[in-house]
Amino acid sequence: MASSSSSLPSPSSSSSSSSSKKLVLRSSDEKHFEVDEAVALQSEMIKQMVEDGFGGDVIPLLNVSSNILSKVIDYCKKHVDFDSKKKMDDRRRWDAEYIDVGVDELYHLIMAANYRNIKGLLDLTCQKVADTIKGKKPKQIRIIFNIKNDVTPEGEQKIRKEHSWAFE
Amino acid sequence: MMGGGKSSEFKMVENYKPPPTKKPRRERNRGKLPETAGSTEVMEQHIWKEFPEDLFEAVIARLPIATFFRFRSVCRKWNSLLTSHSFSQHCAEVPQGHPWFYTITHENVNSGAMYDPCTNKWHHPSIPSLPTEVIILPVASAGGLVCFLDIGHRNFYVCNPLTQSFKELPARSVRVWSRVAVGMTLNGNSTSEGYKILWVGCDGEYEVYDSVENTWTRPGSMPSNIKLPLALNFRSQAVSIDGTLYFMRADPEGIVSYDMINGVWKQFSIPSPLHLTDHTLAECRGRILLVGLLTKNAATCVCIWELQKMTLLWKEVDRMPNIWCLEFYGKHVRMNCLGNKGLLMLSLRSRQMNRLVTYDVASREWRKVPGCVLPRGRRRQWIACGTAFHPSPTALA
Repeated sequence: MASSSSSLPSPSSSSSSSSSKKLVLRSSDEKHFEVDEAVALQSEMIKQMVEDGFGGDVIPLLNVSSNILSKVIDYCKKHVDFDSKKKMDDRRRWDAEYIDVGVDELYHLIMAANYRNIKGLLDLTCQKVADTIKGKKPKQIRIIFNIKNDVTPEGEQKIRKEHSWAFE
Repeated sequence: MMGGGKSSEFKMVENYKPPPTKKPRRERNRGKLPETAGSTEVMEQHIWKEFPEDLFEAVIARLPIATFFRFRSVCRKWNSLLTSHSFSQHCAEVPQGHPWFYTITHENVNSGAMYDPCTNKWHHPSIPSLPTEVIILPVASAGGLVCFLDIGHRNFYVCNPLTQSFKELPARSVRVWSRVAVGMTLNGNSTSEGYKILWVGCDGEYEVYDSVENTWTRPGSMPSNIKLPLALNFRSQAVSIDGTLYFMRADPEGIVSYDMINGVWKQFSIPSPLHLTDHTLAECRGRILLVGLLTKNAATCVCIWELQKMTLLWKEVDRMPNIWCLEFYGKHVRMNCLGNKGLLMLSLRSRQMNRLVTYDVASREWRKVPGCVLPRGRRRQWIACGTAFHPSPTALA
């Protein structure tokens, strides 16, 4: 009983006092990443796993490749730093540079952020997708996301009429 | 005196950008076209087709407002987001950007013009439910809804200018239609938890409308420490900070506030700066500001002050750039504030000219606003009055 409870991280040890505590993450292509616990806990999913007692072992991340995982870790590391400093302008500048990636990488980042439940990174990637598609036409949107057009021409006219100001 | 030495601190942004060094068209196109076409192509071919359904709402909530409405025709699902509860929650999570401005023009007071400062564009919404037989003025806003009051101070209307969601409020219990000041607050983070509207008159009468009950109530009478008659400054719209409304008054000069949650009135005596005219209250992230015209001899300048909450004094924090003020030298200028939430819109008028400018309190940036022209129209419209509102597609009146 005593041994099992000592292997569980107590809630207090996850705070700043345990900056030296490390977790090991394993990517889908079997690469290992050792990170500070505070960094890994930016992910709600990992936080949950640690709370459930998986903290002592290697945490497998089955659908995240090593290059995406290292990029995600970059984000989490930087934001642990930012959280302790609160410099909004620096954060914004760093985020803007960080997210300046191609659409392929963006897709994998958003999926990783979603799967690992990293709120800040999910917000950032969703905003980037919105910025990428905002200049497109509805027709292009349907092709990109493979959406079936089920709006009748009359329905489309109605939308245009209701919100004619948006089409000015 | 008026030519303060601060000009180097101003960030001035004109509406036009100076043309970049010219390149031959072929070269310019080479730089541009393949990139946009390419990114679509890549997006079209690949993984995006597998994009999970549950992430769409988070992405769509981050689109520019006008784009969101254009994308309603993508499919029925996207079209139905306006009434989706989960979508409105996503919208509430997105950090609030600059407010828009709902204004009315002199020529046609019942058709509004909305200005979007992010795209620097005017839009002309049509709100068929707004009454046309009386002139109604935008007087307050909260959570994406604009509150209107007719010019005879009888009836209130609330509407979302983006979606035509509209409501006429029940009749007030007063029978004397004297002029009133109006403020509006939200019960929670968004209009889904309801909103409140307060009117207050110079005799100290006041009523509060609660959208959840859909009735006006008289919470009580004003405490004796508020000096009556209440010489309200009707040129100044109220500001709303954390559920408390602030109104500007004279005699004694200062502010009266009403806590909409606990129903408490307070009065603060704050001497106005000298030589001040056309002043109005404004707010930015909890700070209370004063904006007005400072006129001395023949020079007129727009000035911004911030309330020092400890000393209850106005402290000057910024001025309009000198070269813009020079335009008004020797002229009689009037100023109207068309929006006082973080980004201020000011209409400056003298006999021969009418200038619209915005001032971003946080970044101290002054910008000129382009003239408002109807689509297919040529003549500039003269903006008469307005209010700032935070655009929200899902806000319901």
